[in-house]
Amino acid sequence: MLRPVLWIHDEALGPTNPSLVAHREAPALFVFDRELIETQRLSLKRLGFLYESLLELPVTLRHGDVAQEVLSFASRHGADGVVTSAGVDPRFGLLREQIAAHLPVQVLEPEPFVVLPEPVDLRRFSRYWRRAEPVLWGRGSAAAPPAPARLWDR
Amino acid sequence: MQWAGALRMQSVDSLLPGDLPRQFANRDEMAAILRQLFPEAPGGLSPMQGGRRAAEKALAGIDPAAYGRNRNHLGGAVTRLSPHIRHGVLSLVEVREAVFDWLERSKQPKAAAQKLISELGWRDYWQRLWRQLGDGIWRDQEPLKTGHSSASYAAELPADLLSAHTGLACMDGFASELILTGWLHNHARMWLAAYVVHWRRIQWQVGARWFLQHLLDGDPASNNLSWQWVASSFSSKPYVFNRENLERFSSGRFCRDCALAGAGCPFEASYEQLQADLFPGAGPC
Repeated sequence: MLRPVLWIHDEALGPTNPSLVAHREAPALFVFDRELIETQRLSLKRLGFLYESLLELPVTLRHGDVAQEVLSFASRHGADGVVTSAGVDPRFGLLREQIAAHLPVQVLEPEPFVVLPEPVDLRRFSRYWRRAEPVLWGRGSAAAPPAPARLWDR
Repeated sequence: MQWAGALRMQSVDSLLPGDLPRQFANRDEMAAILRQLFPEAPGGLSPMQGGRRAAEKALAGIDPAAYGRNRNHLGGAVTRLSPHIRHGVLSLVEVREAVFDWLERSKQPKAAAQKLISELGWRDYWQRLWRQLGDGIWRDQEPLKTGHSSASYAAELPADLLSAHTGLACMDGFASELILTGWLHNHARMWLAAYVVHWRRIQWQVGARWFLQHLLDGDPASNNLSWQWVASSFSSKPYVFNRENLERFSSGRFCRDCALAGAGCPFEASYEQLQADLFPGAGPC
């Protein structure tokens, strides 16, 4: 991809967004997802908070159909592909597929909070934390203190 | 952090038709534009401001030791970072490093930051579960342990709750804060969720949607799975609280002015009594 545009979505509105880091000069776009906003009946508070976050990022702002807007933006800039950051929301995957039907999409992973050597059982937090906590604290010299129960842990 | 300059030197190109404005004289002007763009979105702006500058200010003000000691009190030293983390304005890695930096600077023992690091772990945990479950976060992860069938829970929020007129000073206070500010202390979320699901017998999904409409940090995974934890479809028993618990962690601020404080408070009971009243058909926990 020689001339990408960046698709910025609502899970990565900060400077550590890997697409912003990797492509400092590329045009970037955020689209307010009209369908999502309407179906979820999102309040103005949420939209305002997002908007204020976006005003501190060098991105073009649009609203409407996300995939269509990203593709139009790519065409406006003569782009040969779209770079974005990984999203956890299943809707991200859906939109990515819609875009990828027309243009190559590269998805960059953000730096993980903790890297676990093997898959963990996620049925309860305690099982995850038993693996994750020593790794997190392992960056220092001493072992982590024992974990007290969270207020509403049973 | 001089991120704006360091990150990208390029400015946003000039606006074309359909591009949304980036210059406002003040917040009111922005709110007016948002109302035009999204006439269906209810309410006004939150007093909590978005953006990297606000996020960095909040991050600079964290006190992990105090957080560890008193975070369960409504007046405790909670960070209010969650809306910024939810939208990636701050990454979990940045917050983790800020906490470790605080530890180094403050020369405190690791235990002083343990609870805050663990809370970041909760965020990571919910996101890992979301990757695994996808839209399954909207479905019961396990059968309810309340003794009531899923079908016996109402599919709509009642008007008195939506308008914060239940007559319960605590619940009306939480509902108002949710609707006006888009932020609630975690303990208040648990109390309000328990009230909705167990005392009002409303489907947890209905409450979860309500929270997502309003919470600035509204993240479907954290939100829904916490509602499921309260409801008991993601825990071994339903979460309930009593008046003593609420009064203690809110410093009595609601009970003082509540018309039902003298008689008729539905939370004025022992846990054993509440268990028997709310879940008469449930097996022993």
